[in-house]
Amino acid sequence: MSLPVAALIVLSSVGCKDSDPFDPGAVMPGPITFKVDGLGEVPERFTAELTVRGDVAYTSTWGGRTFNGVRSVGNAIKIWNVAGSALTLVDSVIVPNATTLGDIQVSDDGKLLVVATEFSPGSIAVFDLTNPLKPALVSRFSSANTIPGVHTAEVERVNGKLYAFLCVDLAGITFPARLVIVDLSNPASPVEVMSRVMGSPFVHDVFVREGILMTALWDAGIAIFEIGGAGRGGTIANPVQIGSVATEGGQAHNIWWLHDPVTGSKKFAFVGEEGPALIGTASSGDIHVVDVSDMTKPREVAFFSLAGAGTHNFSVDESRGVLYAAYYNAGVRALNVRGDLGNCTPAERAPDGRCDLAKMGRDLGGALTDQQVPVYVWGVQFSGSKLYASDMLNGLWKLSTQ
Amino acid sequence: MLRWVCVAGALISICAPLAITAQHTHAESPASDSQSIWSPGASGILLVTHASPAHAGRSLTEGYLSQPMIMLSGHDRSDRLSLNSIVDFEGLTLKRGELNAGMFGEGYVDRRHPHTYLHELVVTGTTAIGAARASIAVGKGFVAFGTPDPMTRPFAKYPVNHHLSQILERALITGAVRTGPLLVEASSFNGDEPTSPSDWPESKRLFDSWSVRGTLFPVAGIEVQGSFARVKSPELDAGGGLDQRKLNLSFEHSHEGTRIPHHVLAEWARSADYSGSDEAFAFTSFLIEGEAEVRGFTFAGRVERTERPEEERLANVFRTARPAQDFSILGKTRWTVETLALSRGVRAGSARIAPFIEVSHARPVAVLRPTAFEPRDFYGARSLWSVSIGARVSVGMMHTSAGQYGAASRHAPSTMGHMH
Repeated sequence: MSLPVAALIVLSSVGCKDSDPFDPGAVMPGPITFKVDGLGEVPERFTAELTVRGDVAYTSTWGGRTFNGVRSVGNAIKIWNVAGSALTLVDSVIVPNATTLGDIQVSDDGKLLVVATEFSPGSIAVFDLTNPLKPALVSRFSSANTIPGVHTAEVERVNGKLYAFLCVDLAGITFPARLVIVDLSNPASPVEVMSRVMGSPFVHDVFVREGILMTALWDAGIAIFEIGGAGRGGTIANPVQIGSVATEGGQAHNIWWLHDPVTGSKKFAFVGEEGPALIGTASSGDIHVVDVSDMTKPREVAFFSLAGAGTHNFSVDESRGVLYAAYYNAGVRALNVRGDLGNCTPAERAPDGRCDLAKMGRDLGGALTDQQVPVYVWGVQFSGSKLYASDMLNGLWKLSTQ
Repeated sequence: MLRWVCVAGALISICAPLAITAQHTHAESPASDSQSIWSPGASGILLVTHASPAHAGRSLTEGYLSQPMIMLSGHDRSDRLSLNSIVDFEGLTLKRGELNAGMFGEGYVDRRHPHTYLHELVVTGTTAIGAARASIAVGKGFVAFGTPDPMTRPFAKYPVNHHLSQILERALITGAVRTGPLLVEASSFNGDEPTSPSDWPESKRLFDSWSVRGTLFPVAGIEVQGSFARVKSPELDAGGGLDQRKLNLSFEHSHEGTRIPHHVLAEWARSADYSGSDEAFAFTSFLIEGEAEVRGFTFAGRVERTERPEEERLANVFRTARPAQDFSILGKTRWTVETLALSRGVRAGSARIAPFIEVSHARPVAVLRPTAFEPRDFYGARSLWSVSIGARVSVGMMHTSAGQYGAASRHAPSTMGHMH
């Protein structure tokens, strides 16, 4: 899509605001009004992550929950038809020997569904999506390096090959947390191609794009590796670290490296900080903006903080410059992430010099806090023109954004 | 069962000769009162517990050999150098944990976890400084914080507040000074909690945590205690977890040698988890317990109200994910527990057997709502009952003063140079 066409879409679909004074070419998204289209209820289990492709959504489940006197563990994948406003539960798939399914993701070609399992023995379950409504298990991968549990699993393509990036649980000082990379070229027979201890004390998640691997290393912040995209000699089997930065407050949990198709900017990565939380009630942790224009010297330049709540996973509508963040007990928030986020007026800076996105007027609004029930949103995904939100307490929400 | 029999047999075979060969051994009396330099002993509790409900409306009945231990305490003739040691065999007899509604910690919940094999090994040097006594204790044992360990108290079942009110099984160095009615202790220790019965304090974590405890003895039989501790990352042995700041205040009254010997303990505790300098969670406890001996029968009662975190449970609902992979908890539950116990001890030489019955009633309620852990749903009832019947068996010296090292010993001579 050419830039003018993309800009036209932005103009026609979002209420416009003034352009960024520091980046006059950028068309800024305006405030967003959310409307709930529907809720697919999951009362018997806690809902975790979601992944949406076309008219089908998949949600994973987490931990143990007692409902009507029956305790169910997080071993179910829920399959949803999301074509209409009424979300229809089509089927559930039980993953044996798992009590928590954290991450779930459809591959970029729509052919595979990969699910991480906890606790010991940790694994990933790989499903074939020839029939998207009937995932068929093709393999279950585990190794000595995944024993404690696989906390997150990102499925990304590097140099044309599909890989799963597994963040493996810490099992104490004798088994440090580690990143394991698995080649999914043959889904029936995944092959472990790399394992490396990392994280302080956890490696919690990764973001992979254009041969660059970004890792969320909790109190060590984020580290950037080259795995075939920056000419530093790094490969999937031997990632080469380019740079790192300890984000403010640590507890680096997840990352999104923004590629703005309108401005062409690849300058910023967004890091979710997951602070202490009381599930269902309270959460903590900010969104940190890291300038990665010089990957050897990434630096935090801005942040977004929401009183009484903390962020979790992100989904970015890059064509509009809107970052949607799951915000646990505060539902969903939308941020304007277009333009130069590290350039602000003195009044918009925190005492430590970072730009405060809230003071910069980049909070575009939120959703789901006005429902009749409390919410606790784990993940979000912008797909098509809709935003989907997985809510630990209630299930799967579908929202329209205007 | 075979394992229990073996452990019980081993304890008896090891300790009976020790007890006999000790020059003069007093069961349940301190070493310093005896003529012995070394005071060996062994003890254990054989019991059956019926918990109703234990989980999801279902009752469980289980038998245990709980708290099987051998002990050896001693001192040199000048009482300047002393040793306290306990080997605990719960790693063999309590692998699944002991049903104990409300109890939590070290990966167990609603079951008490087994302690480490080397429960205590502390060497203490004591000296006089004018009218004061001072000591330095080094080894693995009980940190100068909070109230006496539940093993030394009159109930088989632990209070919910164990991990709020005691810090134990740490590599430590503890200094103590007693002058007149005031005792001040300070400990430096490793913050990491044991991760299994065979676990050792992490060498990288030595002395990353500290505590102070002050005790006032205004009149005979009264103790007023206040203590504070900062514990680094107790739940993550590798470090990097939430830190704890703990506060404990207590009052103890003991009356021995009257017609009705009795003991009363009242305590308030607060333990808060910190992320950096920000308080994340805080849990409080109030407990009062007492025991009295009437015509050879010991009556004991305990009431406590303690808050605990609810953590993600595994497929085994009595176990939690440890270490957790983030700093979230499912909820906060307030436990109100009333416990009554009745026992009668019988001596046979240096051995003692004390059959007992212990009944407790617990009511857990969610402190905050909405919550991801609703006790009524999880347990299938509002009230949880527990009945235990069994017997405490001991031979030789009993461990009655966990963590009171050197100058902190309640039974220490008032001046140095006391000859036995």
